Amino acid sequence: MKKFYVLFAVLAIVALALSACGPAEAPATEAPAEAAPAAEEAPAVEEAPAATEAPAEEEAPVVATDDDNCADEAVLCVGLVTDVGEIDDKSFNQSAWEGVQQAADEYGAFTKYVETKDAKDYASNIALFAEKDYDIIVTVGFAMGDATIAAAGEYPEIDFIGVDQGQWGGEVANVAGLIFPEDKAGFLAGALAAQLSETGTIAAVLGTDLVPPVVAFKEGYEAGARYINPDINLISTYHPGGMDVAFVDPEWGATTAKQAIDQGADVVFGAGGKTGNGALIEVASSDGVYCIGVDSDQWETVPEAHPCLVSSAMKLITPGVFDLITASVNGEFPAGNYFGATGLAPFHDFDSAIPQEVKDKLNEIDAGLQDGSITTGYGG
Amino acid sequence: MDDQAEKEMSTSSGSWLGRLWRTIAVPLAAVLLAMLIGAILLAISGADPIKAYSALFDGAFGSMKAFGRTLAKATPLIFSGLAVAFAFKAGLFNIGAQGQLLFGALVSAVAGFMIHGLPPFLHATLALLIGASAGALYAAIPGALKAYTGAHEVITTIMLNYVAINITDYFADGPFKDTTGGNIVARTPEILDSARIPTIGNIPLGFVLAVLAAVVVWWLLWHTTLGFEIRTVGLSPHAAKYAGMKVAFTVILTMVISGFLAGAGGAIETQGIVGRYQPGFNAGLGFDGITIALLGKTHPFGIIPAALLIGAMKAGASTMQFDAGVAKEITDVIQALMLFFVTADMIVRKLIHARDDGGEKITLSGWGQQ
Repeated sequence: MKKFYVLFAVLAIVALALSACGPAEAPATEAPAEAAPAAEEAPAVEEAPAATEAPAEEEAPVVATDDDNCADEAVLCVGLVTDVGEIDDKSFNQSAWEGVQQAADEYGAFTKYVETKDAKDYASNIALFAEKDYDIIVTVGFAMGDATIAAAGEYPEIDFIGVDQGQWGGEVANVAGLIFPEDKAGFLAGALAAQLSETGTIAAVLGTDLVPPVVAFKEGYEAGARYINPDINLISTYHPGGMDVAFVDPEWGATTAKQAIDQGADVVFGAGGKTGNGALIEVASSDGVYCIGVDSDQWETVPEAHPCLVSSAMKLITPGVFDLITASVNGEFPAGNYFGATGLAPFHDFDSAIPQEVKDKLNEIDAGLQDGSITTGYGG
Repeated sequence: MDDQAEKEMSTSSGSWLGRLWRTIAVPLAAVLLAMLIGAILLAISGADPIKAYSALFDGAFGSMKAFGRTLAKATPLIFSGLAVAFAFKAGLFNIGAQGQLLFGALVSAVAGFMIHGLPPFLHATLALLIGASAGALYAAIPGALKAYTGAHEVITTIMLNYVAINITDYFADGPFKDTTGGNIVARTPEILDSARIPTIGNIPLGFVLAVLAAVVVWWLLWHTTLGFEIRTVGLSPHAAKYAGMKVAFTVILTMVISGFLAGAGGAIETQGIVGRYQPGFNAGLGFDGITIALLGKTHPFGIIPAALLIGAMKAGASTMQFDAGVAKEITDVIQALMLFFVTADMIVRKLIHARDDGGEKITLSGWGQQ
């Protein structure tokens, strides 16, 4: 009998390990396959701008195929450190990396990323790039703010782009914090949801309230919904777990979305990395329920959600990162907060299903948010 | 090794070398097998396994700085490994090391920033002891539930992990939230310098404490009456009862000591590395303790190399990705494979023709046996 208990115990551990690092396994087999072509692609695309545009420049940019010469003035090296999560998260890490890739295409930059697995490694991961004399280092995620500021002090010749890192504690000359008015994007999503809802109940499945941008999305969403229908019934649920699981728990996202649908919700806003994606995919299997994605146009990133995905509340991270890299290349790097754009993603297949008056209303609200005649009531 | 050599080994079972070999053969083979399968997976995914492993090694041991990082990563793992192994000795499976560690980390941070005016050594020691005691108290709950109601500690400790996550998150985002400089992140203020456990050169002092803790646990288990009672309860609660031992008391005390060790690991992480409590910064440390306890054959001196190994993989993973472009998750896969081969040791024994090592079995008391 003892053996049986030991066997049970082992199964329990394996189950724990699987649930604790559930998302970690899939990438273990997928990620190398995906990362490898990306790495191979880089040199190929670098040659194109070098060949076509180089003559126009005063001197031919050196095409870097490795990072041994990053200290060289003519070699542009851009590194990216992800937040705890993966580069292919179909969310903010990926969007930021795409901005870096765009810079690789445009400026023949050598690019590389390191994924953070343990929040205590922020500094040492940044140092990997800094010690190789990279010109620009992109650090993704609010939580890396302190480590970025500290590294900027240590390496004053490197420009740091901090995605989601508000520079409220004072400006540092070589740090630009790329931030977004998430509440405005959430407001538009809420206004869309409230107009589409027939039951008068809408839901939001959210990452943790420990991260302010998530709270901003939620508050904006609720304000936008109430702007359309003051009596709307809102079911907003934050992930109850810590930072380590809140954004990588699609099972919880799916269950929570299911519960909301059971309670009558017919539009679900999924905002929280893979957790939110889990909610979208769950909604896709329910007839007559719409879903709204977050951060990027999730029509492109979560094809499983096509049956329900009407739009996404977007933070335009990719162009924001690219613009800041461009500014750095041109020697016009802006210190302090840099506001990126937000907005709703295209309706794609639902374009014909959305009544014109809903679209007009959204445009009216968007204009109001831009000129300040409509406020979301979030922040202050 | 051939049969002849094996026979010689087993006939000379009195020699400590032979015994040592029989104890470490399986974990050693499990590690090598896991690395080998990891290499095959790397090769399949199109990466160069040798390049990847040498980058991993470089990131873990390539410089004094890297070595210091490995020691720092191993430190909390030694504590959580000791915590899990200690409970094993009494037949208890403490899956709650994570929750106990979180309490240790949070409470030592609170003691670190709230208590003022103490000299450095005293403040650091006090914060460490308070943190470890918080872990001990938290572990007393499943211990008492087991002793008096028979509620299985596997279930209660798993549940209490979630309770711990949410309580610590609440305190870090509520009563003890850092409000300096317009901070909005859920975290406590920084601890005072006097509460810090320093890193001397590249050697974290916490690592030295971890090694000391292993020695103390070894002495406690094999050289004290209490240790004898704990091990007897682990082997047979009924026999222990007939021998006149207080089984319920021993179960609770074992959990308390186990929780103290886990809490100390969390406290040292706060005081030596992070400098404050912040949700998410201690993720997985307690769970890794289970792997390390099993890999170290639940022996305090086996846990140190096991923790160093896992710590090295954690320390080197970033360099591996940076230099070889390999996804870090491969280190998780290797770690999971090690756990698999150590626990399913029949497979490994078949492969290396090693005999069952007789003693040092991990025994767990069953559901409601008390």
